[in-house]
Amino acid sequence: MFHTNCLLRVSSLLRAARCLMPKRHAAPKTVTCSHRCMSTFHKKDTRHRDANFGGADYRTDKVFSSRSYSTSEAKLNCWNCKQLLDRTPSFFCDSCKAIQPPEEGASYFKILDWLVDYTFTLDTHKLQKRYLQLQRTLHPDNFSQKSVKEQEYSESQSALVSKAYKTLLKPLSRGLYMLELEGMHLKEGTDSVAESHFLMELMEINEALEEAQTPEEVNKIGQDTKGKLADLTELIDAALHEGKLDIAKELLTEMKYYANIEEKLESSQTLHVFLLDVVISESVTDLVVDYGSGP
Amino acid sequence: MAGSVAKKCLNPLSLLTRRLSAPEFITQCCYHQKVVDHYENPRNVGSLDKNSKKVGTGLVGAPACGDVMKLQVEVDDQGKIVDARFKTFGCGSAIASSSLATEWVKGKTLDEALEIKNTDIAKELSLPPVKLHCSMLAEDAIRAALADYRLKQHDDQQEA
Repeated sequence: MFHTNCLLRVSSLLRAARCLMPKRHAAPKTVTCSHRCMSTFHKKDTRHRDANFGGADYRTDKVFSSRSYSTSEAKLNCWNCKQLLDRTPSFFCDSCKAIQPPEEGASYFKILDWLVDYTFTLDTHKLQKRYLQLQRTLHPDNFSQKSVKEQEYSESQSALVSKAYKTLLKPLSRGLYMLELEGMHLKEGTDSVAESHFLMELMEINEALEEAQTPEEVNKIGQDTKGKLADLTELIDAALHEGKLDIAKELLTEMKYYANIEEKLESSQTLHVFLLDVVISESVTDLVVDYGSGP
Repeated sequence: MAGSVAKKCLNPLSLLTRRLSAPEFITQCCYHQKVVDHYENPRNVGSLDKNSKKVGTGLVGAPACGDVMKLQVEVDDQGKIVDARFKTFGCGSAIASSSLATEWVKGKTLDEALEIKNTDIAKELSLPPVKLHCSMLAEDAIRAALADYRLKQHDDQQEA
């Protein structure tokens, strides 16, 4: 499915895409980029800073569309001390330190404070670190002595951060989320004739997994599947960089099928370990029964 | 020894791990008894000779959940479906839908089989709304199998 010339094309796409990555001062270049180009994130960021003249009025931009992948330029005030909140989304007020409610429509990338572009490839260690850092401050356990309102805010924030982390952690859910931000979803219906070769290949892999007799066979299938997922991750990254969302969508669909196989492999390995435990404990029981009755 | 134990324990335990790893199971609480029945006692699992001119093969996938379904029918000279087999990799509802589909198409003519609707399958298995797409997948698999058979017959006639 992914021939060498396809991957060569991908690496040249990647080189081209990297040339397109704008520097912060080069705003016009960003604007001439395709409207779907991810690097327009910078453009919105610049506008956000320009609009920041610290109005005291409570302004919410209800017109926030799900297509926007940075929060709108809306400024919110702390519910407690009424001071303007410095950043969006804000977890705590800078003045009175009160916990704030989750901001409606904030993207998961913003929630996890992704200061770099929101891209498909991200450092999952950094992501995890940031997630744990946030949960240390937001977790409901920290608010057991606080007001009911603060407890509620803490629960919603903590749950939202958890959801954001889980979504961004795995490439498949991350990619699907990025498409969703652009208003795209995997198609609901069925694939048949168009992708019949691919479906046949999937059938064969699933059947091989079902019929595998030894751990070695299962591992081989596992390695192949991991390889395919890695290839797909690279291709999806390239497609998203280039703003080719339709291609990204097709690739993410393929990834969904392989991710299911990976899940089965993981549960079959868990089952294998579990059964080994059963076998070992049964053997031990037999021994006890055999040798338990004394001389 | 581990292998034979595995084979003995595999059925109920794989059901257990599949249930544990299927979030929809946890949220739904339980599958309907009919779905569980088809899952534990699937009818017509297997394959027919896809190269045979009498066999139509339908291979469909559902992108949203990553389920893959293969349904095959064998048709006699009178245009009646005499045998059907399926292989489905997916959730319990998808397996049950395809199992039921193979039961229903047997003994029907091609036109009668085309009348099978996903709503009938869903009703029979009491599928919840979130699993309706599984019955849709089964209906599409039937149609794909019949279309494949018709194509083979058409090619055959052209050669003759």
